[in-house]
Amino acid sequence: MTLDRERPYWLEGIDLPDTPSQDEDIEPWDETKVVGKPLPRVDAYERVSGSAVYSADVVLPRMLYAAILRCPYPHAEVKSVDTGAAEKLPGVRAVLSAFSPEDAATRPHSEFIRERLFNTHCRYEGETVAAVAAETPYDAWDAVRAIEVEYERLPFVSDEREALEPDAPLVHDAGNRVAEPSTYERGDVEAGFAQADVVLEQEYRSECEIHTPMEPHGAVAKWDGDQLTVWESTQGVFNVQSGVASALGMQFSKVRVIGHYMGGGFGSKLSSGKYTVIAALLAKKTARPVKCVLTREETFLAVGNRPPSNMRLKAGVKRDGTLTAMQFWGTGTGGAYRAGGTSLLDWLVRDLYTCPNAKTETTDIYINAGPARPFRAPGHPQCAWALEQMMDALAVEIGMDPIELRLKNIPAYSQAREGNPPYTTTGLKECLEEGARSFGWTEARERSSAASADGPMRRGVGVASCLWPYGMGSPPATAIVKLYSDGTVNLNTGAADIGTGTKTVLAMVVAEELGVDPGEVQIENADTGTTQFAGASGGSMTVPSEAPTVRAAAIDVKHQLLELAAEEMNVAVSTLYLKDGKVQSTADPEVEREPSSLRSLGRRRMLTGVGHRAPNPAGKVVNPFAAQFCEVEVNIRTGEVNVLRFLGAHDSGRVMSLLTYKNQVVGGITMGIGFGMTEARVLDGDQTGKMVNKNWHDYKLPTALDVPPEVECVPVDPGDREANNTGAKGIGEPATIPTAAAVANAVFHATGVRMTGTPINPSRLVEALAAQRGE
Amino acid sequence: MLPKFSYVRPTSLDEALTHLSSDGAKPHAGGSDLLGCMRDGVFEARKVVSLSALQELKGIRQAGGGGLRIGALTTVAEVASNSLVRERYSALAQAAAEVASPQLRNQGTIGGNLCQKPRCWYYRGEFHCLRKGGDTCYALAGENQFHCVLGGSRCYIVHPSDTAPALVALQASIRIDRRGDSRVVPLEDFFVPPSTDVQRETVLEPNEIVTEILLPGPARGLRSSYRKVRDRGAWDFALAGVALALEFNGGRVAGGRVVLSGAAPVPWRSREVEQVIAGKALDAATCGAAARAAMADAQTLRRNGYKVPLFEAVIEEELTNIGV
Repeated sequence: MTLDRERPYWLEGIDLPDTPSQDEDIEPWDETKVVGKPLPRVDAYERVSGSAVYSADVVLPRMLYAAILRCPYPHAEVKSVDTGAAEKLPGVRAVLSAFSPEDAATRPHSEFIRERLFNTHCRYEGETVAAVAAETPYDAWDAVRAIEVEYERLPFVSDEREALEPDAPLVHDAGNRVAEPSTYERGDVEAGFAQADVVLEQEYRSECEIHTPMEPHGAVAKWDGDQLTVWESTQGVFNVQSGVASALGMQFSKVRVIGHYMGGGFGSKLSSGKYTVIAALLAKKTARPVKCVLTREETFLAVGNRPPSNMRLKAGVKRDGTLTAMQFWGTGTGGAYRAGGTSLLDWLVRDLYTCPNAKTETTDIYINAGPARPFRAPGHPQCAWALEQMMDALAVEIGMDPIELRLKNIPAYSQAREGNPPYTTTGLKECLEEGARSFGWTEARERSSAASADGPMRRGVGVASCLWPYGMGSPPATAIVKLYSDGTVNLNTGAADIGTGTKTVLAMVVAEELGVDPGEVQIENADTGTTQFAGASGGSMTVPSEAPTVRAAAIDVKHQLLELAAEEMNVAVSTLYLKDGKVQSTADPEVEREPSSLRSLGRRRMLTGVGHRAPNPAGKVVNPFAAQFCEVEVNIRTGEVNVLRFLGAHDSGRVMSLLTYKNQVVGGITMGIGFGMTEARVLDGDQTGKMVNKNWHDYKLPTALDVPPEVECVPVDPGDREANNTGAKGIGEPATIPTAAAVANAVFHATGVRMTGTPINPSRLVEALAAQRGE
Repeated sequence: MLPKFSYVRPTSLDEALTHLSSDGAKPHAGGSDLLGCMRDGVFEARKVVSLSALQELKGIRQAGGGGLRIGALTTVAEVASNSLVRERYSALAQAAAEVASPQLRNQGTIGGNLCQKPRCWYYRGEFHCLRKGGDTCYALAGENQFHCVLGGSRCYIVHPSDTAPALVALQASIRIDRRGDSRVVPLEDFFVPPSTDVQRETVLEPNEIVTEILLPGPARGLRSSYRKVRDRGAWDFALAGVALALEFNGGRVAGGRVVLSGAAPVPWRSREVEQVIAGKALDAATCGAAARAAMADAQTLRRNGYKVPLFEAVIEEELTNIGV
C-alpha cells in the first residue's frame, strides 16, 4: 500500500471531481486577528436551544416511518418471507423484502461490495431482511413483528482467531481470508535484530469498538416527480449522492442530499447506508416522504465498528536507544464483508520512528459479524497500543527514560513512502519536550516511583506518541464567498460540520480576510443541490482542505471589491487594501471607505468570490504528530484505575480556533479512554453468535466520572508554510491515537503489570495483579 | 418501540391495588426498569398502573425506637441525601449514592430498586432463557463475566441492587400490600434464589406491591458502610460489592451482618465472614481470614474467576476501614 497513490479503502470507488488549482500563490498569515482565538461556535445557539434541525428531527407533511426487519442470527439462509399479515395491519403502507420486485437494488457501500439490499444469505446478525413504511413508528414496528421469515440457520464463526482453522465455518465460499496477507519490508530485519542489544517480542490485542454516535444513522427521503431529496445524518453529502445515484441508477442532477446538522459519525457516516436506499425505495413505492432512522440497537450491529486487532511486535534496540529493527504481524476482521479489517494497522510501526529495518504482515479475515466502517484513525489506536507499549518496555530494558528513547528516534522523513519524502514539518520532538515540561514529567515520574508502598494505592505516569498519515487535506474542494452590497457576507461550502466546529473555523477564516464578525457570516453548507464540492468530513482532512479553499474565495472577493473601489475612487488598485472591513489606502491614511458606501457595489448588489484548494506540496508529506501524557492511581488489590490527569501535546499546525481544537483533544482523549479502559463488543461466540451488549448500558462508553477533570491541551505549532495557505493540519484523529497506550504505560509504571489487551478494567486488571502476586 | 398497553393513574392505594389485581397489570413507580423491560420484550404489561399519584408512599419518616419508615416511592436520590439516613444508616446512604446515574437516581424509587429485574444480558436480550420460561441458561456456557460466583443453581444471575444488600445488612423489613391485605416481611426473606424458583426474584405476588421499607433503630455501636467496584464510574452495576452493618463493643465485633452485591442471584449474606469476625478486633489477620472465608465456597464460571480475588480485596479493604 502506497498511501499517497492509493486511496484509503473507504474512498475506493468513490468519484471525486477535479477542481482547478488556485492560480494565485497565497502565503500563510504572519499575524492573525480572528484565526486562532477561542471563539464560541457560530451555531452554538441553534445547537444548544434545540432549534437546529438534525436529519433525525426532520418532519415532512404526510411523512411515513420506516422500520427494518434484521436477521437475528449470525449466519442464515432466508428461505421465505411472508409479509401478508404485516401488510394488512392498520397504518402499513408498504413492505419490501428480498422477494419484492425491488430486490435487485444493490447497496452502495462501495464499488466492490455489490451486496444486495435485502439479502437472502445473511452473513451477520443485523443484516436487512425486510422493511416497512407505516403511518407511525409504532405501526411500522408492529408490522415488522408480524412478518414471518423462515430461516435456515448455518454454522458461524465469531472470532477471527478461529476463522482460519481448517474446520471453521465459511463466511464466503472462497474462504475466510479476505485477501492474501498484505506485506511491507525495508532493510533486513534479521540483520537488524542481530545488531540489537535488546530484542523484545510481545503479543497485543485490542477489542472491537462501536461508534455509537449520539444521533443514530438514518435518512429521510422525498420524491418530487423523478427528483429525489434525501436528508441524511452524514459526514459527506456528495458521497451519499453518488451512493444513492449508483444504487438506484439515477443521475446526480436527480439526487439532492442535505446534511446541515448531524450528531456525530466518527467515520461511520462517510457513505450512504442501506437505510438511505430503503427510505428512497419506500418513499417511491408509497409516493410519500419516508423517514428511516435506526434504533440504538441496530447501530451496534449493522453500521460499523473498529475491528478487533491481534498484533505481535518484535523490536530490537541498542543500549544507546537506537532502534535496529521492527517486525509486526497483525490480524483483524472487518466482519462479514471486505471492510478494512486491518486497514492501516501497521502504519505506525512502519513510519513513526526512525528504524532502518522493518517488516510487516497483516491479514484481514471474515467472520459472521457486522461490517466495519472507518473509525476515528483506522488502525492507529490499535497499532499505537502495541508499538507504544513496546517502546515503553524497550526503555525499561535499556534503563532509559521512555521520552528520551522516543527523542532518539524522531524521523526527519517518511521512511515508508516511496522515495523517502521529507515532512513539511514534524513537531514530534517539540510535542514530547514541551508536553513533558508542561506535564511535569520528570517530577511526576520520580514522585510516583518514590511513593510509599503502604496501602493498596499506587501512582504511575505514562506517555505515548503518534503521527497520522492523513490530516494534510487535499483538493478537490471549491468554496464561494459572496459579499453583499451592505457589506455582509455569505459562505457556501459543501463541507459537513459533524459537530467538530467546521462552520466556526471557516467563518473565522472569512472574518480574518474580510473584517466581518464571524457570527454574522451566513453559512450554507452540506447540500449537494446548492453548495460547492467538498470531500466527506473525515481523515482529519476537513479544516486543512476547506480552510485554505475558503480563504482563497475570500481573497478573491476582496480583490474584486478593491478593484471596484479603485475604479470608483479613481486610484490605482495597488494602493488599496482592506483592513477591519474597510477599504483603506497606502497613499492616503485619511481614506477609509465602508464597502456599503461604494455605489458600484450597490449596483452590482453582490460580489462572488470563488476559491479552490491548491495542491499539496510536491514531494513532501504533511502529517500531524502528537504526544500524550497521563497520570493514574491504581488500587493494586481491586484493579480500579483512576485517571488523574491527561495532557495532549499536538502538532496539528496552526490552531485555527482554540476552542474547537481543545474540544478535539478532550474528545479524542475521552474516546481513547473508552477504547483503552471500558469498551468492547461482546459476541456470544460459543453459543448463538449474537451480540449480547448492543445497548448503551451493557456496552460501556466512558462517563464523565471516567474522564479526568484535568485535561490539558498544549498546541505545538511549527509554523508550517508549505502545507497549505493556512498552515493548519488535522487534529480530530491524532487526538485519540496514543491515549489508550499512554494509560497502559502509566498502569505499568504504577503496578509493574503490562496490560497487553484492552480494555484495562477492574475485571481484567485484578486478575493480572493476582497473577503477579502468584495467586 | 413499546408494545401496546393501557395506562391508569389511580389516586389512592386501594384503587391502585384493585387495578393491580387484574391480569397482566404491572406497577409503574419510577419506570426506569419497567419501560426498558417492556421495550425489550422481557415481559408483557397489558395494563400499566402508575403509582406516581400516591403521595402516601413517598417520603422518609421517623419510626419508634429510633428507626425510619421509607415510603417505597421515595426516590433513590432522596434516600441518598436524607440527613437521617446519612446519620444513622451510612451503608444505605452510600449504596443509594452508588446507584446508576444522577438522572436515574432522581427518577428511580427505593421500592423499584429492590424489585428490579435481573440485568443478565441474556435475560434482557433476545434469548429465551430459563428465567423467561425457556430450557437453557445461556450464561452457564456463554459470556458469564458478570454472573454469579455464589448461590447459582440452573440460573446464574447476580442481583442488581445496591440498596438491597445495604438494607439486608441493616436488618430492614418491608411492607407488602395487596387488595385488602398487608404483610411485613424481613427483607432477607424477600428475595427468591433460583434454587427455589428459577422464574421469580422475589416473594411478591403479581397483585402485590412493596409499599414501605422499615428500618429498625440503629443498634448500639453500629457502624455501617457500602463499597462497590464497577467497570466504569457511573451507570454501572456492581462487579463486586459489600455492605457492612457491624456492632462494635470495646473494639470488637459484637454482632451484625455482612452482605455481598454482585456475588449471587440474591443479596448474599456471608455468614462465613460474620463467623470469622464475631468477637474479634478487625486486625489485618482477621480481615484477611474473613475475606478468604467469604470466597471459600465460590464456584466460578469460565469468565468470572476474577471475582474471587476482587471480592477478597474489597471485603478485606472494607473490614479494615470500618475497624479503624
